[in-house]
Amino acid sequence: MTVLVLTCEADVTADMVVAELHEQGVPLVRFDPGDLPGGGSLSVEYVRGEFRGYLSSGGRVASMQGLRSVWIRRPSTPAAHAPEPSDWLSVESAHALYGMLDCTGARWMNHPSAAAKARRKPWQLRIAYLSGFPVPATLLTTHPTMARQFAEQYRHVVVKSVSGKSPGDPPMALPTTLVPPDADFSGVAAAPTMLQRYIAKRADIRLTSVGDRHFAARKATEPGQVDGRYGDTGHEWQAVEVPTQIARAVETYKKHAELAYGAFDFAEDSTGTWWFLECNQGGQFGFVELETGLPIARTVASWLGAELS
Amino acid sequence: MKPFAWNYARPAEPATGIAPYSYDAALQLNVLADGRPAVMDRGLLAVAGTTTSKAGSATHFDD
Repeated sequence: MTVLVLTCEADVTADMVVAELHEQGVPLVRFDPGDLPGGGSLSVEYVRGEFRGYLSSGGRVASMQGLRSVWIRRPSTPAAHAPEPSDWLSVESAHALYGMLDCTGARWMNHPSAAAKARRKPWQLRIAYLSGFPVPATLLTTHPTMARQFAEQYRHVVVKSVSGKSPGDPPMALPTTLVPPDADFSGVAAAPTMLQRYIAKRADIRLTSVGDRHFAARKATEPGQVDGRYGDTGHEWQAVEVPTQIARAVETYKKHAELAYGAFDFAEDSTGTWWFLECNQGGQFGFVELETGLPIARTVASWLGAELS
Repeated sequence: MKPFAWNYARPAEPATGIAPYSYDAALQLNVLADGRPAVMDRGLLAVAGTTTSKAGSATHFDD
């Protein structure tokens, strides 16, 4: 039984898992959907009720009948590397590939449908609350008046991207940023805007959940630091225990979201409360493992390589 | 009209040079110039920045 890893060639975080799969003796095929068609190929037959499919890349072949699990890490857009790429070809290739994979009994980390839903922050906040996490008051609006009132009510609010996508061409970075008291909110009418009550935090928490195992890492913040991804403060990630109630909420959240993997971000306030900020269904774990030694890659590999129940 | 959030955007950090490893289809792993798998050099991976929470921001926006 084979593990299928969908990711681009340059993804060295995937390498960490591939190396573990090699170590565990689990057969795998690494495939970048961007290579389809071209460097990668597929064929699938539906004849008299029977389904037979194959996927090949780099001289390796994965039979759909023998597929154990599928890990979607950082795949390129289907057909992105084709000799004559086009939007049409990408859609055709995506339907062929993912439609074929959907016909298998393989386990997914994570299924594309679940992933698409789980990326949406407004939905995340609702599910987080229902799962038992403390969630900062949040407003998503296109009404400048509502935005101004929210900012006045909570006094300290941050603005963040709704999708996480970088704006502009060339791309700009959009860190979560504290909104100044004299902000002009008229631009709220130009795009849905997400404002959130600022949590004065003493640390960032990244919890990586793989199957039923949870790995938490903590990084102290400097006073006033808002987005932990920006600005080197000299602090390092350190492994910490996962509080029982957080573990329970993580499991509830993942069950709601039908996720096998999730990277949860929290802000730890002065009382030690972990405030839910977001859950990245495909969030990075390489930096956590490299700094803390938490065995995340090995756990991902074990989940992917486990026998079907 | 400029979206409100864009008031707080900043130039993205430029990509850091050429990765000191290349993909080996036989191993299905990236390898260093001396042929060793790149994952054996954890220090290099951390410095390369390709494993960080901003690593995929240009193409994958849910890191």
